[in-house]
Amino acid sequence: MMKQDFMFTSESVTDGHPDKLCDQVSDALVDRFLQQDPFSKVIAECAVSTGILFIAARFASSASIDIPEVARQVIRQIGYEQGDFNAKDCTIMTSLTELPAPSYPFSDEREMSEEELESVTAKNQANVFGFACNQSAAFMPLPISLSHKLARRLTVARFQKQIPYLAPDGKTQVGVEYREGRPYRIHSITIVATQEKTSMRGVGPLRDDLNAHVIEPVFAAEALRPDSRTHIFINPEGLVAGGGPSLHSGLTGRKNAVDTYGEYSRHSESALSGKDPSRIDRVGAYAARHAAKNVIAAGLAQTCEVHLAYSIGISRPVSVQVDTFGTGSIPDTEITARILDRFDFRPAGIIRAFNLRYQPQLFRGVFYHRLAVYGQVGRMDIGLPWESTDKAALLR
Amino acid sequence: MARFIDQMQLPSSFATGEIETGPPEPVRVIHAAVEGRARLEVQGLYRCQPVRRKLESALRKHAAIREASANVLTGRVLIIFDPARDLEEIKTWVKQLLPDAGQEIILENPAGDGHSLRSSRRPVSPVISSDSNPVLPQDGKNWHVLPGDTVVAALETSKELGLSQASAERKLGYFGVNSLPETPPRSELSIFLGQFKSLPVALLGISAVLSAATGGLIDAAVILGVVVINAGAGYVAESQSERTINALGHVAKQNAVVIRDAQLREIAAESLVPGDILVLTPGTRVAADSRVLESRNLMVDESMLTGESLPVAKRVNQLDKQNVSLADRVNMAYMGTAVTGGSGLAAVVSTGRYTEIGTIQSLVGETRPPETPMQRQLSILGNQMVLLSLGICGAMFLIGLVRGHGWLQMLKSSISLAVAAVPEGLPTVATTTLALGIRTMSRHKVLVRRLDAVETLGAVQVICLDKTGTLTLNQMSVLSIHCGGRRITVDKDVFYDAGARIDPYQSDELLRLIHAAVLCNEVELNGERGNYVLKGSATESALVHLALAAGVSVDALRQGYPREQVEYRTETRNYMSTTHRVRGGGKLVAVKGNPVEVLEMCRWWLKDGTRLPLTETERAAILMENDGMAAEALRVLGFAYVEPKEADQSSADELIWLGMTGMADPLRQGMKELIALFHQAGIDTVMITGDQSGTAYAIGKELGLSGGSELDILDSTRLEQLDAEILTGLAQKVNIFSRVSPANKLQIVQALQWGGKVAAMTGDGINDGPALKAADIGVAMGGIGTDVARRVADVVLEDDNLGTMIVAVSEGRTIYNNIRKSVHFLTATNLSEIMVMLGSIGAGWGTPLTTIQLLWINLITDIFPGLALAVEPPEPDVLRRPPRDPREPILGPADFKRYGLEALTMTAGSMASYGYARARYGGGQKASTVVFMTLTMAQLLHAYSCRSDHISIFSHETLHPNRYLDMAIGGTAALQAAAMLVPGVRSLLGSTPIGPLDMVVIGAGSALPFFLNEATKDVTFKGKRSQELLSLPPPSQEYG
Repeated sequence: MMKQDFMFTSESVTDGHPDKLCDQVSDALVDRFLQQDPFSKVIAECAVSTGILFIAARFASSASIDIPEVARQVIRQIGYEQGDFNAKDCTIMTSLTELPAPSYPFSDEREMSEEELESVTAKNQANVFGFACNQSAAFMPLPISLSHKLARRLTVARFQKQIPYLAPDGKTQVGVEYREGRPYRIHSITIVATQEKTSMRGVGPLRDDLNAHVIEPVFAAEALRPDSRTHIFINPEGLVAGGGPSLHSGLTGRKNAVDTYGEYSRHSESALSGKDPSRIDRVGAYAARHAAKNVIAAGLAQTCEVHLAYSIGISRPVSVQVDTFGTGSIPDTEITARILDRFDFRPAGIIRAFNLRYQPQLFRGVFYHRLAVYGQVGRMDIGLPWESTDKAALLR
Repeated sequence: MARFIDQMQLPSSFATGEIETGPPEPVRVIHAAVEGRARLEVQGLYRCQPVRRKLESALRKHAAIREASANVLTGRVLIIFDPARDLEEIKTWVKQLLPDAGQEIILENPAGDGHSLRSSRRPVSPVISSDSNPVLPQDGKNWHVLPGDTVVAALETSKELGLSQASAERKLGYFGVNSLPETPPRSELSIFLGQFKSLPVALLGISAVLSAATGGLIDAAVILGVVVINAGAGYVAESQSERTINALGHVAKQNAVVIRDAQLREIAAESLVPGDILVLTPGTRVAADSRVLESRNLMVDESMLTGESLPVAKRVNQLDKQNVSLADRVNMAYMGTAVTGGSGLAAVVSTGRYTEIGTIQSLVGETRPPETPMQRQLSILGNQMVLLSLGICGAMFLIGLVRGHGWLQMLKSSISLAVAAVPEGLPTVATTTLALGIRTMSRHKVLVRRLDAVETLGAVQVICLDKTGTLTLNQMSVLSIHCGGRRITVDKDVFYDAGARIDPYQSDELLRLIHAAVLCNEVELNGERGNYVLKGSATESALVHLALAAGVSVDALRQGYPREQVEYRTETRNYMSTTHRVRGGGKLVAVKGNPVEVLEMCRWWLKDGTRLPLTETERAAILMENDGMAAEALRVLGFAYVEPKEADQSSADELIWLGMTGMADPLRQGMKELIALFHQAGIDTVMITGDQSGTAYAIGKELGLSGGSELDILDSTRLEQLDAEILTGLAQKVNIFSRVSPANKLQIVQALQWGGKVAAMTGDGINDGPALKAADIGVAMGGIGTDVARRVADVVLEDDNLGTMIVAVSEGRTIYNNIRKSVHFLTATNLSEIMVMLGSIGAGWGTPLTTIQLLWINLITDIFPGLALAVEPPEPDVLRRPPRDPREPILGPADFKRYGLEALTMTAGSMASYGYARARYGGGQKASTVVFMTLTMAQLLHAYSCRSDHISIFSHETLHPNRYLDMAIGGTAALQAAAMLVPGVRSLLGSTPIGPLDMVVIGAGSALPFFLNEATKDVTFKGKRSQELLSLPPPSQEYG
C-alpha cells in the first residue's frame, strides 16, 4: 500500500546541464546513425569536463558520420557558443570501434512473421519499469511533471530573451505535499539558474525575473499553485557564473530519474540515452510505460507500475508484474493478464509497435535527441507512440 | 662566497643602479614557481646580444647562482640559484647589472617588447662599440605601419637607385652577413685530440711510463702502439662520421636580384643588407625580411612561415595597427617565403638572425644537443672497467707479494693485467658503428643528421605522421560530385553515374557546377591546350582539372565571364564568391565553399535543368550526402550561383544550389603496409591532420592506424587551451589528432614525451621546426621539406618516401644491438683475461700470460672481432620485437651477470688447459703458450656467441651470415698461428711451438666453453617474452 500523507520532491535539469548534454550528444548520434541506416547498431557514451568532451562509440552501420561535428552541433544548439566550453573550440576525443557488420539481409521488424518476432531475443538482462498515475494530464507524478515544465520554461526564457543573461545550465526542483495519496499543495520550488559571466545580475533581479518569466507562466495553467506558505528558493547556494561543463562534469546516463519518473516510482539503473532500439533496457522502459499509461487511461487504477524482467536469450519478459498500490478497480493479477494479452513485450515487437528504427527519419534526424531532455516518458509535445492511450479501450 | 661579496660591493652598481622609479619595471618575474629557479623579463635584453653576454657572464660569477641563460629573442633570463636565496635578492642583482650593461639600450627599447616605434637613428652605445662582435642588433621595428617613403628614408636608400655598392659594403660590415646561424663543425685536430682524452688511454699511458721506468722498453712501445692504433682508428671513424654529418647541413647557396647603383644586380643572398631593394618576380624566394614598395599583383606563398596554404596578395599601403600577426602584415615580404605570382619591389629591413625566420630558427637552435646517452653510458662503463682493473691490479700485486713473488715482477704483471682489463676498444667500436650505420642509412636515402639519432631511432616507440604530404601525395583530385540529386563519380577523368559512363554536357546542372567551379577559382592556366600548367592551390587546381576533363574550355569561359569582384573566405565566412560580368548585360555570382554554409544561403536548386525550390527534405538529403562524402575522406565543397537582376543585386539568399564536389588527396602507395610494419615492430602510429574528424576517421580506418582496436581521435582546433596534463594523458591513446594546426604539433610531441614515450615526428614546413626539434627523432622530407625543417630534423628522408623510415628504425635497432654485441664481446673477454690472471696467481701458479701476450690478445683478438660484430647484419626478428626501453642502460646488471658467467666458462677452459700444461711441462714458456692459445681461441669462438643474445647455434632461427666476422676471426686465427710459427713474432710473444696433444687440449679448452655458453643462452635472456606478448591476438570486441 502506498503511503497516504507524505512529501515528495523531484528535480529536472535544463539542456545545458553537463549530464544532459552528454545524453543529448549520445542520442543525437543514435539519431544520425538511424537516419542514414535504420538498422545501425550503436552504443554511444559521453563524458564531459572542462573544455573536453569524450565520446566512446561502438557501432555497426552503413552510415558515415562526422561524430565530433554532430557533438559540436548539439553543443551549439544548446547555446554554448562562448566561454571556456564552447562548440567551436572544445576538444573532442572520440574512441570509435566498429562492431562486426550485422548479417544481411536486415530483418525489418515491420515485416517479420510471428516466428521471426519470437526469435529475436533480449540481448541484455534488464528490469524495466513503467509507471503512470492520474496526478497530471500526462499521467505522470506531479513533482517531476512540474519540474520539467519549470526547466523547459527556464530554457525558453533564455532563448526568447525574456531573461537574456541566463546561461544554458540550470536545475529545477518541486516538492509536493500529498494528502491521502493525492497532491495537496506545492511545498517548495527551487530553481538554480546560471548566468553568463559577462552579464551577471544580483539575486534580487534574478528572483524577480524567474518569478515573472518562469514560475508564474508555468503555474498559470496548473490546478495546484504555490500558496503563501510555498517555499521558493532561487539559487539558494549563491549565484552561478557560467555553469555548464566548465564548472562541473557530466556523463551519459547519470539522470535516469529525470528521464523517467523523478524517483516517484522505481526505475531501471541502466541508461536510456545512447542506445539503438535493439537494446531492450531502453525500449523495454517505453513499452512498460505504454502499458502502465493505458491501464490508467482505461480507468483500471489511479496509480500503476508495470515491471518487465528480461533475461538474455529469451524474447518474452520472464516476468510481468503490475502493482496498482491498492488503487486498482480490478485485481492486479487481472490487469497483468489483460496487458499480457494486449501488449507485445518482445524486443522486436516493441520496435515494430513504436516504429523505433524509422522515427529518426520521420522526425528529420531529431527524435531520440529530443527525448534526452525533459523526460523520455510523459512527453506530450512529440507525439510519442508510448504515450498514446490507444490500447485503453482494449483493456477495459 | 668571496666572489659573491665582491659583486655585492661593486660601487658602480649602487651608484647608478636605482632605476626603479620609472613606471616600466626593468626586471619582471615571469615564472618562479619552482624554488631556486626563476624566469625574469629584463628590459633591454630583447634582441641585444651585448646585454645578454653581460648578464650571463656577470650572473654566473655569483656564488649563489648556478646557471643563468639569457635569451635575446624573448628578452628573458632563466636563473637557477641557491634555493636558500630570496628571489628579490636575485632580482636586485639583475637590476644592478642593467645600467652598466645597457643604459643606452634601454633607451633604445623603451617598452621592452620590440613593438614600439622608434627613431630610425641607431644609437651606438659604448658597450656595443667596445664589444668584439661587429654585428649590430637590428631594430624589430614595425615597418608595416610606416609609409613606404619613410621606410626608404629610414634605411638611407632609394627605390629607383638602390644602395650604392660602397654603402652596401659598409652596411654589410655594420650589420653582418645575411645568413641564418649555423653551428660550426668540429675541427680535425680537435677530433684527433679528443681520442686521447679518455681515462682508459690515460691508464695505458701511465703503464707505458711505468714499463719504461722498470726497463720494459718493448712493453712500453707496444702499449704506446696500442694507444696510437686506437686513436688512429677512432680518428678515422669519427672524422668520417663528422664529415658525413657536416655534409648534410649544407644548403645550396641562394642568390637575390637587387637594385644597386641604379642597376639590376644578382648578388649572393648572404650579402644583402638592410636598405637593399629586392626585385621580386615569380619563382624567387624572398631572401630577407623586406617592406613591399611596389606591387603588381604580387602574390607570396607564406605557408612556410604562417601555415596559410593560399598565397597572400601583397600591398604597398601602410597598415594602421601595430599588433597584427605576420600573416596579416600584407605589406611585408618575409625571408624564406616564395613569390608565386605578380612582381614587385621591396626594401630589405632586416637580415640574418633578425629576420622572422631567423628568430624561429634561433628559438629552435639555441640548445646544443648533449652527448648521446649511449656514449655517456659507454664512457661510464669504460671508467668503471678502469677502476675495476685498478682494484684487481692492486689486489693481485698484494697477493703476489704475500706469495713471495718479487715486487718488480709483480708490478709488471699488475700493469699488464690493468692493460688487459682496460677496454680500449669501447669508444672506437661505438663511434665506428654509429658512423657505419649513418652510411648504411644514407644508401637507403635516409640522412641522419645527429649521431645520437641513430641509437634513438632504435628506441622509437611512437611515430607522429603528418597526413598531407607524408601519408598522401598532396595532390588533390575530384573523385565524386553530387548534383541534381544524384552522385556522379570521376575516375581517371571519366564521369560515371551509377557505373554508367556519362557525358557531362548532357547534364545541365553538372555543367553549370563545373562552370561555377572554374569561375570562382583563382588558378592560373598557362601553356598550350592539352598541355596546361596549373598554378594555384591544390584544391582549386583540382577543380580546373575537372573542368578540363569534362571538356570545358577554361580560358574561353573565363573570357566570356570576366571577373569583377572577389570576396575571399574569412574566419567567420567559410565560402568565397566571385562576381562576373555577363556578355550582353547582367551579372553572375558564383559561390564556392563549406557546403553547409553555402546551402544555407540557397533557396533553389537545379534538377534536370529546372530550378526548383529547396524544401527541407532536399536540404536534409544534401546535408546527409555531405556527411557521407566527408566520411569517405573526401574534402567537400558546395557550389551555388545566381544571376541577379540589376534591381536587387544584394539578394544573396536567392542563390541556386548547384551541388557538391568531393576531392581527395590520395594516399601514397604502400602506406597501409608500412603502418602494419610499424605496428609489428611495436611502434605506435599517430596521424596529425587538419581534416575534419569524419575524413580523418575514414583515412585512419583505411590505414589501420589503430591496429584493429578502437580508433581514438582527438578533435580540437585549440589544443593549446587544453590542460597539459589532460593532453599528456590522452595523447598516449590517441591515434589521430584532427583539425589541429601545424603549430600544435609541438604540444602533441611534448605530451607524448611527458608520458614517457620516445616520439618521432615527421614534418616539412617551417612551422614544424619546434616540433621536429622537440621530438626525439624529427623526420623531415628531403625533397618537399623546407630548409628549416631539414636543418632541425634528426633524420631526413631524401626520397620523401616514408617507407624508408622503417629501414631507419631497423638500422637504428641493429646498430644499437651491434654495439651491445661488441661491448658484450669486449667485456666478457676482458673479464676472462682478468680471471685467468687472478685465478692463476691466487692458485699460486704464477703469471700465466706475459705483458706482451696480454696486449696481443687485447689488440689483435679483441679489436677486429669487436669491429666485425659492430657490422652484424640485422637479426631476422629485429622488426618483430618491441622497441627497447629507453630507460634501460645499454648493459644492465643481468647482462653483467651473464658476461661474468661466460667469462668464467672461458677461464675454466683456459685454467684446465693450463693445469694440464703445468702437469706436463711444469710451467714456463710451454705452459704459458698453451694457456695463451686456449684463451685466444676461446675468445675468438666467443665472438660467434656474441652475435645474438637470444639466437644460438641450437635455435631454429638462424642469423644472416656476417662475412666481416668470418674474415676477422679467420685473419686473427691466422695471425695467432703466425705467432706460433714465425720466429720473430714468436720470440716477441715468448711462445713456443706446440704438439698435437696440446692442440687437442687447446681445442677442447676453447670449444667446450663455447658450446656451454650457446646452450645456456635462451635460459637467461629476455627478448623472447616480449616477443610473445606482441604476438597475442587482440581481444574480442563482440561483447556488449
